[in-house]
Order: sequence, then C-alpha cells, then structure tokens
Amino acid sequence: MIEIAGLSKIFGVGASAFTALENINVTIRENEFFTLLGPSGCGKTTLLRSIAGFVNPSSGSLTVNGEDMLSKPPYARPVNTVFQNYALFPHMTVAENIGFGLEMLGRPKSEIKSVVADMLDLVQMAPMADRMTSQISGGQQQRVALARALAPKPKVLLLDEPLSALDFKLRKEMQIELKRLQSETGITFVFVTHDQEEALTMSDRIAVMKSGRILQIGGPKDIYDHPAERFVADFIGDTNFVSADLVTEANGIAQVRLPSGKTVEARSPAGGAQSGSVTIAVRPEHAVLSEPGALIDGRLKNIVYFGTDTHYHIESDGQPTFVVRRQNQPDAVEHHQVGDTVGISFNSGTAQVLRD
Amino acid sequence: MARPRSFDVRQQTGFTFVAICCFVLLYLPIILLVVYSFNAGTSIAIWEGFSWQWYEAAWNNEKVQEATILSLIIASSASLVATSVAVMAALATTRTGKFKGSGLVFAMINQPLMIPEIVTAVALLLMFAMIKVSTGYTGIWYLIIAHSAFCIPFAYMPIRARLQGMDLNLEQAAADLYGQPWQVFRRVTLPQLWPGILSGAMLSFVVSLDDVVITEFVKSAGQDTLPTYMLGQLRRAITPEVNAISTALLAISIAMVVAFYLLSKSKEK
Amino acid sequence: MTTDAQTERNRWLLLTPALTILTLAAAGPLLIVVVYSFLTAGDYGGVVWTFSTDAWFSVIAERDFFDETLSFSDAHLSIFWRSVKLSLMTTVVAFLVGFPTAYFIATRPPHKRDFWMLLIMVPFWTNLLIRTFAVMEIIRNEGVVNTVLMKLGLIDSPIQMMFTEFAVTLGMFYVFLPLMVLPIYASMERMDFSLVEAAYDLYASRWKVLRRVILPLVKPGAVAGSILVFVPSLGAYVTPRIMGGGKQLMLGNLIELQFGQGRNWPLGAALSITLLAIVMVALIIYVRSAENGETHHG
Repeated sequence: MIEIAGLSKIFGVGASAFTALENINVTIRENEFFTLLGPSGCGKTTLLRSIAGFVNPSSGSLTVNGEDMLSKPPYARPVNTVFQNYALFPHMTVAENIGFGLEMLGRPKSEIKSVVADMLDLVQMAPMADRMTSQISGGQQQRVALARALAPKPKVLLLDEPLSALDFKLRKEMQIELKRLQSETGITFVFVTHDQEEALTMSDRIAVMKSGRILQIGGPKDIYDHPAERFVADFIGDTNFVSADLVTEANGIAQVRLPSGKTVEARSPAGGAQSGSVTIAVRPEHAVLSEPGALIDGRLKNIVYFGTDTHYHIESDGQPTFVVRRQNQPDAVEHHQVGDTVGISFNSGTAQVLRD
Repeated sequence: MARPRSFDVRQQTGFTFVAICCFVLLYLPIILLVVYSFNAGTSIAIWEGFSWQWYEAAWNNEKVQEATILSLIIASSASLVATSVAVMAALATTRTGKFKGSGLVFAMINQPLMIPEIVTAVALLLMFAMIKVSTGYTGIWYLIIAHSAFCIPFAYMPIRARLQGMDLNLEQAAADLYGQPWQVFRRVTLPQLWPGILSGAMLSFVVSLDDVVITEFVKSAGQDTLPTYMLGQLRRAITPEVNAISTALLAISIAMVVAFYLLSKSKEK
Repeated sequence: MTTDAQTERNRWLLLTPALTILTLAAAGPLLIVVVYSFLTAGDYGGVVWTFSTDAWFSVIAERDFFDETLSFSDAHLSIFWRSVKLSLMTTVVAFLVGFPTAYFIATRPPHKRDFWMLLIMVPFWTNLLIRTFAVMEIIRNEGVVNTVLMKLGLIDSPIQMMFTEFAVTLGMFYVFLPLMVLPIYASMERMDFSLVEAAYDLYASRWKVLRRVILPLVKPGAVAGSILVFVPSLGAYVTPRIMGGGKQLMLGNLIELQFGQGRNWPLGAALSITLLAIVMVALIIYVRSAENGETHHG
C-alpha cells in the first residue's frame, strides 16, 4: 500500500541544517490503522506531511499502490488529512466544508449532495449541516474535519494528532468512533500521536519514532511486551530497568544474571543484544512482591494507593527504584509496611533485554 | 524520475513578480526625482553631471526661504497643539468602558480622516472668509488652527495605542504609595507614555508639513508654505530646483517615519 | 476616592480642548457649507443672503439662459462620471497590484515582514504633492519614459501621456496604493495557512485555493482597502490637478473652480455636500461589511 524507502528530510543548510527524518523505511498495509508514535520533535508530523505532500523529502522514495507520490503536488495525491487544528473553512457551512474536496474534483452536484448526506450520517452531524463551522463545538468540529477528509474516499487518511484538542471524556469517545469509522470505510489510517495510551488502544501497528528515526514497528502488544530499546520501553507504559549480565543467548531467548547472582530467562531483541552488561526491562504489573531471597531484594520505600491498584516502591543497592504494581482486591489486607525488606520476583520470559 | 520543484503552499504563481514590480514602481519615481535634483543641467530627464546648484538656487531663493519658515512654524505649532490636546483626549477615552457619548467623541476625533480634504478645505474657506471680512485679521493663526484640527487623529492614534498597552497596576501601585493623582500622572503615567507622545508629535509634524489642499484654500494672499509654493511653481517651466526642495522635504518625512517605526518597535519590547 | 460623577466630569474636561478645536476647524464649518448651499450666488463671488435651491439644481441640471427650461448638465454629469470611473479604475488596479504585494509580504518570514511593510508605508507618509510630481516627471513629454523611447529610436515624437485620464489614474494609483496594501496585509497576516493546506489536501488547484479560500478569508481587508483607496480618489484634488492639467477635471477640481473670482459659491457648497454624501455611503458600506466579517468569524 504505502511503501516508504530510504526517506530523509533535512531542513536548512550548512551549520543550521536539521535532520527531521533519517532513512525511514516502512510499509503500511491496506486497511490498516497505523500509528506514528513519539515525543514532540521526533519527526512523526514531518513524516505525515511528507505523505500528504506538504514536506518535500530530501531523498528516498514514497509510493502509494506502486504510484510515485513525491512527484505529485498535494492536490494530486489520493490522500486526505485531518489537521491538528481541524482547519475547517470558517467562511463555509458544515455541508460546504464536507463537499469541498468533491467539488474540487469536479464531481456532479447530485453526487456531492448524496455523499455529503452520507458523510453527515456517518459522523452523526446531519442536524448541523447548515451551521457555520464557528457555531459548533470542538468535538463536532472534529467530526466535520473527519467527514471532510473521508468524503472524497481517499486511499489513505492522514490524522495529525486529531484528538489532542479534546477533553478527556470526548477523546475516549472519539477514539472508539475513529476505530469504527476505519473499519466501516476500509480506508488505511495513518495516525500521528504522542499519547502512548491512544496509540495502544487504537492501532493495528505502531511505529515508535525518536529524533527522526523509527526505533521499532509492531503491534501494540508486541511493542508493549517486547520493547526493543530502552527509549521504547520508557516511552510506552511504566517500566523498571535492571542492569544485568548476559550469560547466553539463543533463538531469541537470553539467560541473564541479575546483581543478586540469580539467573533468569528473558527475551532478547530482534537482531540480538550485545554481550556483557545489558539492561533488562520489567513491567511493574509483571513483578510480584515476595519474601527476601527472591530475584531482587530491597527495602520498601513507599506504598502508593491508586484505587484500582497499589504501587510498591522498592530501593535496592545500585539500582533505580523498582516499582511493583498489584491490582487491588476488595477487603484485601495490606501485609507490607514501609521499611520492610522484601523480595521481587517475576516469571521467566516476562523480562526483555534491551538494545541500547 | 525528474523531481519537480518542491511544492510550497504559500506560493502563488506570479505574485512575487507583481510584488517586486510594485516595489520598483513605488520607489523608481522617487529615486529619479532625488537623482535629478543633483543634475547639472536644467533637464529632469537628461543627466548632465553632478551639481549642488539647484540646492543653492533653492537656498538663495527668498520665496523658498519664507515658505520654509512658514511651513516649519505651522508644522511645529500644529503638532504641539494637536499632541497636547490628543494626550488629554487619549487619557479621557482609553482604559475606560463605553461611556455616554463615546461614539460621538470617536467620530469627532477621527472625522478629519473620513471627510474628503477638499470638503473640509471649502468649509474652512467659507468660515475664515467671514471672519477675515469682519475682523480684518489675515495672519497665520487660521493655518495653525486648521492644521491642528486635522493633525489631532494622527497624534491621538499612537498615544492611545501606547496607553492601551500600559499596565494599570503601576498607577494603582503609585496611588497606593500615597501618590496624588497629578503626581501619579507626572511620575508614572507620563514617563511611560512618552514614546507614544513623541510618535504622535512626529506624525502630526509630517502630516502638517505635507498638507496642500487645506493650506491652499485657507492661506491668505501672499502666504505660502513649501507645498503650496511648489504647486504654484508647477504652472511654470519646471527646473530641478523643485526637485531639490522635494528631496529636502522627502528627507525630513522619511527620517521622521523611520524614527516613528523604530519607536513603535521599541515599545513592543 | 473619586466618584463616578467626578470621573465623568474629568473626562469631559480633558476632552474639551480637542473637541473645541475639532468643532471650530473641522465639524462646525461643515454646517456653514450646508447653509451656503441654500443661498443665492453673488454676482462677483460670495453670496447673497436669500434662500435659494438653485445651487442644488445646478449640481446636475442647468437652466437654459433664454427659455428657463431645465436640462441635465452634461458638463457636471461628465465630471461626476469621470470621478467615479477613474476612482473605480484606480481601486481595481490598486487591488490587482496591492493584493499580490500584500500576499508576498504576509508570506515572508515574520521578522522580515515589518521591513517590507515599512517600504510600503514610507512613500505614503511622504508628501503627496511630491509623489505626484515624481510620477509626472516620469511620463511628461520631456520625461524619462519619452526620452528613453526616443533615444532608443522607438518613437519619433513624444507620446502625450500627461493630461489624460491615464495620467490621472496612474497618479492616484501611485499615491493611494499603500492604503490598499495595509488592510489586506493586516487580514492576511492573521490568516491561518493550515486552511490553505487543507484546501490543497482536498484537491484544490492553486487558482481554486486563491479564489475559494484565500480571497474569501481576506475579504474584510480587501473591502477596507478598496474603500480606503476609493474614497480619497473620489475627493482627490491635487493629483487630478497636476496630472489632468485642467483638462481632466474631477469632482475636487470642479468644487475648487466654484470658489474663484466671480464664481458660484453656493454651487461649490452643494457639490461639496454631494461629494461628502457619496463618501459617507461608501463608509457605511464599509462599516457594514466589517461588522459582517466579524460575526462571520465568530
């Protein structure tokens, strides 16, 4: 579907040159909800705008269904964008906004009218058709922006942090709504966000980006459970980092020795890890508290109650604070006290060796 | 495959070309005017070498001397009067909500900007003609009053803009520290207002210096400011002497406008 | 504490000097013009203090000298028509040049825009007479254009450009152009360029983007600029006098003519009020469209 190979973008020249994208290689599949995830300045929006045609890559290739895109101006590309600030035309009504793309394509009036009506139904905005866009709420503007971008039936829909301006509750609603629209229309969605939770709940696949590079591509579960790099593990969800020594490595399974001297089985990243000292990542919910003498021992520094679960902060020599998360049960009795010496254990295979 | 020129959403075909033409068009006549004021010959189209002779001619021309002095007296007086009353008007109308009669006051202040100059000129001609007949006075006060009036909006605008951007808390703090209203104004408001006042005074000075129409109608026989003197000269054969006077006037205006621009930039900081 | 009544009294005290000057030397005299327009013309200029509506008839009609019948005054009507025509032409040309120029400036990097706007504004604050004079020197028979063309051998005798409607329009275009650029630039600078991106994204060509997105969005500025050029063009006096040389009279020159020796002062007064009325209508249209523009954008 979308084939991106060796794509780079350098802004400016000479000393002030800034590499926004560095050798991006990715294939986005038909009918996929694909998310570009990363902190601000990581290049995700630049990549999206390259697909849309607003950024001209310095090198590399970009095709949609085998057709070269880089030689085409934005108005000749079969992609539409939902802009971060929606960019609704303030001098047009809701219906005129939605019909704009079809009108520009020179479609007959009758066709525009029926498609606009369909789109209004699809995003549940039919009663607002004749309102000016300044007269509707933020969530409604969001729906109109979606309908406007979907109306010309693009091969790809690009979404640039479309939910960032909405409040929490509305954002949750729209996440479900977006997912529904994607499966109903069968259009490939490329979604840009810095919100890891949003990426995990909505995506078929996620590309995690940093400093103009893609660090890891994979399904939400894959990325969450098996982050390949420290940055990915840190950016997505909460993680404990433990330094360890690599003992053996074969077929994606590594044996690592913890500072306590105990050895545990962990997954090694694709392409393998370096030998010697490595960092392993353990999710707080994959670890449990146990009696001292476990994989890691330490002193309980803090107990933080969160309602759904409780976090135990454990200090041990030469390691950053380790967090263990335990889901709360009704009428459960708290056995631990701050200052106790406790052990931490986790099942073999839940730890991940990181590529530094 | 040949990569097309990069797509720029801000680009519109031909606009840059038109804009460049516009700037050239705007400055070419002025530049030529200045250049030919230094021409050694009498032509305003054929270059015959560099010379200061037209500046000397203008400088030694008694009529030009008189007109220059009159222009400067009127422009200074009008800008002084207009700026003083504009400061008071700005203090009365800024940082306050809508008050009774505010619409009328703003209409009055901005009226010289809206009414065609020729109409105001006719109106002043008729009124001053009556006064001249009944009092016999034909001095420069007619011109000073007329110029003060149309300079008021130009003085008022930058002062008001400055006042609007000022922090009301400072004055409240001064009042809290036992400052009497007049002390607060002199020690707190006025020092901050100063760039606005200076801008207003410069704009009024330039506007007064440049006026042709109202001056032409209001002036008594024998009176001439530089612009009306030049307008009279246009009936005769044009020599670069007029260019020389124009260049001098241009230099004053441009210096004032650039100073005004820098002053208004400094207040944004 | 100052009371509300005191504040109110201080306010009007502070306003008194400005309002007095403006009443004496700007607004008040307009009433005299209205009064004069209803008086009888004196034989040697001036007025006779008897009520008459002759001046108002004379604005567009003339009384036949012999049989006293009224007919339309061709001379006055043609001057009205020329004033409106040349002002409209000036406005259109100023828009065609001013709009791309404002666009050019608005698309420069932010820190450079002030500089470009200063380049536009400097000529505006310099003497109108001098600028008109500068244009005249370019297109005079002995001016730069003709001299160059003759030197190049393209023409044998100078092309007569001065004292034509072209000359007047060119002069007014030249002196009033900054008034077009300024408001268009102001609304263009506030324009959200992501709307332009959105239009390109939705398959609009460059021309369609211009017509369907940019123009409607800067319409308030374009209307303001057009009014700001049209109004002073209509009342122009200096530029048509120099560039038209008495051959291409506009309303301002017609009014001035009525105040010479032995002329018709009441007619001049009536013509002034007529000009004022046209300008007021234009300004009201402007205020209306400005208000619409504001509600439009919420």
